[in-house]
Amino acid sequence: MTDTISRGVTVDRTGEAGAFGGELLTINFGPHHPSTHGVLRLIVDLDGEQVRRLKPVIGYLHTGIEKQMEALRWQQGVTVTDRHDYLSPPINNLAYALAVEKLMGVEVPPRANALRVIMSELTRLSSHLVWMGTSGLELGAMSMLMYCFRERDTILDMNEEISGFRMHTSYIRPGGVMADSTPRFLEMLDQFCRDMPGHVDEYEALLTNNPIWRSRTIGIGILSAEDAKVLGATGPMLRGSGVAWDLRRSMPYSGYENYDFEIATSDMCDCYGRYLVRIKEMRESIKILRQALDRLPDGPVNVDDRKMLPPPREELETSMEAVIHHFKLFTEGYSVPPGDVYVAVESGRGENGCYIASDGTHKPRRVKFRSASFVNLQALERMALNHFLADMVAIIGTADTVLGDCDR
Amino acid sequence: MISETLIVEKGVSAGDPWVTVDAPKVHEALAALKTEGYTLLVFLSCVDHLVDASRSWPARYEVVYQLRNMETREQLRLRTFIEGDPPHIDSVHDVFPPANWDERETYDMFGIVFDGHPELTRILMPDDWVGYPLRRDYPVGGEPVEFSEEHEMWQTAPDKA
Amino acid sequence: MGIEALAESLGKNILTTSLGKLVGWGRGNSVWPAQFGLACCAIEMIATATAGVDIARFGSEAFRASPRQSDLMIVSGRVSQKMAPILRTIYDQMPEPKWVISMGACASTGGVFNNYALLQGVDKIVPVDVYIPGCPPRPEDLLNALMILQERIKAQGILPRQ
Repeated sequence: MTDTISRGVTVDRTGEAGAFGGELLTINFGPHHPSTHGVLRLIVDLDGEQVRRLKPVIGYLHTGIEKQMEALRWQQGVTVTDRHDYLSPPINNLAYALAVEKLMGVEVPPRANALRVIMSELTRLSSHLVWMGTSGLELGAMSMLMYCFRERDTILDMNEEISGFRMHTSYIRPGGVMADSTPRFLEMLDQFCRDMPGHVDEYEALLTNNPIWRSRTIGIGILSAEDAKVLGATGPMLRGSGVAWDLRRSMPYSGYENYDFEIATSDMCDCYGRYLVRIKEMRESIKILRQALDRLPDGPVNVDDRKMLPPPREELETSMEAVIHHFKLFTEGYSVPPGDVYVAVESGRGENGCYIASDGTHKPRRVKFRSASFVNLQALERMALNHFLADMVAIIGTADTVLGDCDR
Repeated sequence: MISETLIVEKGVSAGDPWVTVDAPKVHEALAALKTEGYTLLVFLSCVDHLVDASRSWPARYEVVYQLRNMETREQLRLRTFIEGDPPHIDSVHDVFPPANWDERETYDMFGIVFDGHPELTRILMPDDWVGYPLRRDYPVGGEPVEFSEEHEMWQTAPDKA
Repeated sequence: MGIEALAESLGKNILTTSLGKLVGWGRGNSVWPAQFGLACCAIEMIATATAGVDIARFGSEAFRASPRQSDLMIVSGRVSQKMAPILRTIYDQMPEPKWVISMGACASTGGVFNNYALLQGVDKIVPVDVYIPGCPPRPEDLLNALMILQERIKAQGILPRQ
């Protein structure tokens, strides 16, 4: 029996008896709902206010990114990688660039690695800031949004300074980075590293001991370490359950082994634990940024390979060979040797991997993104069962799924 | 390492070790690898080798399982080749729970049927969608645009691409 | 009160205008957008509502969660084939008069994704009033689009949509 409330929204009476004498109701939550972090749809069976069954329905933001990349040349694909997990574009770029470089057997210079680390950590910060702002908004701490987006804007200004674009920077490319950092960027970064710890203290002052925040998150959405491992959860979801697994430390890439930082973990296993992990990660990211800035090596930022990256502008006017390379690169692109490779990097949400199969032509045969949100979302049912419907908002919030990442 | 009787071929691709097993033995091989410490299925996907001249492939579809040992940090890629219309392979969601959605996605995108899967339905595309978008003979689609170089070829005649 | 005093006091307190201008002024300065985020542009839409850019200066800070209470739909991001019917339903649920801003390249034309999964431009399913280029557009671009829309709404008055 179905009561149609309005077009598209239905409530089904299941006829099944609930624990409180009532009947289980099936309701539709999303995909257009302000607290689902995008276009997530959940079909929830409710017993009174409690969730008895839950089924996520995804695909409302399926963009065909993997198919699109098969139709683009290797260097064109970078622009598309930006847009799948739209809260951490440089980290997506990094996964793709590392995979292509691994297939081609290319090592980037140390300065490029340091700049990649800087951009990754800035992105992690901005991703956590967006998470904290929107989750705070959903759980009743509205001012968090204002505070968090203030610092996020500073980070976006830095993105703009170094790459010319606020969000989708396409800064990290196979073979290095787009351009060297400008002196102004380094000044901005220096200032940012000075200011940011104080701002994190501000967020903590607003939330950590806030009674409303604590009562909405403590004991909500428990995910034990065992469950998290079995369900394949990564990132703050796994570390919030007390498992110290961080790809930056466990399987280092781009020179992360040279930085001194701690893996943030929490044994609380609930939404509050995941919040604490993210706060700690923000502090650690600032530490990494400071170290990277202080030890930024000199030198080139791109591999010296004319078959992979275009020659500098001034060479085009003097060298015939440079003109040929330039022409070949922009009409045909480069080819990557046949084979397949998987590279994983740690994004703000967990393991963000890129699997590439090449058939030796100038376009990929298959690009697959292993996205953290897609896997983490499968743990949602385990976390939300027998909680109130309102708590589910906290659980979705702290799982920090980005639907663009999930649906690709 | 799982018993040599299961492994058909093994090698290293760009630093990543891989093994190939026969398609009917995938479930057995993955269960064995799990007991050996490869407890995390990182992802499961498929590669379509239609008109791929880089080497001779045993079959059109290659199903790829990326495994990781969380203790030793070793990674292993298990590959298997299947053919048919639709191609069939055993589901491994009972060994690795995260495979559930990955298998649905692979079914949605490549039309590979995972036998024994509890709910093999489309996950990313609408339920009434026709075709399997990531197959190489499925056009990229979209609208024709000017100055698009090879894109028109992809939109209309993908089997020549 | 003498008649002259009354005329004088009325002259200080009454503004003559046409009804259309008055309604247009009222509608134009209180455009309530639907809280409808899709993809990357939604993040910039949120940024527009925060203190730095402050869409409240233009009377549009009230993002309504229900389409029944909103006048403006900001299509912020790519619209997939699966999302298109839902987007149209939400548009149908909004009461007249209603306007649509197509925010970003993906909503306007499909953007960099010329493929099977995306609707190549949201104007195929809903009428769009203002298009914003950019991927994603800056918050200032959204404000600019809102100002353009306000001009239109004010010019439209009580007339039905053209």
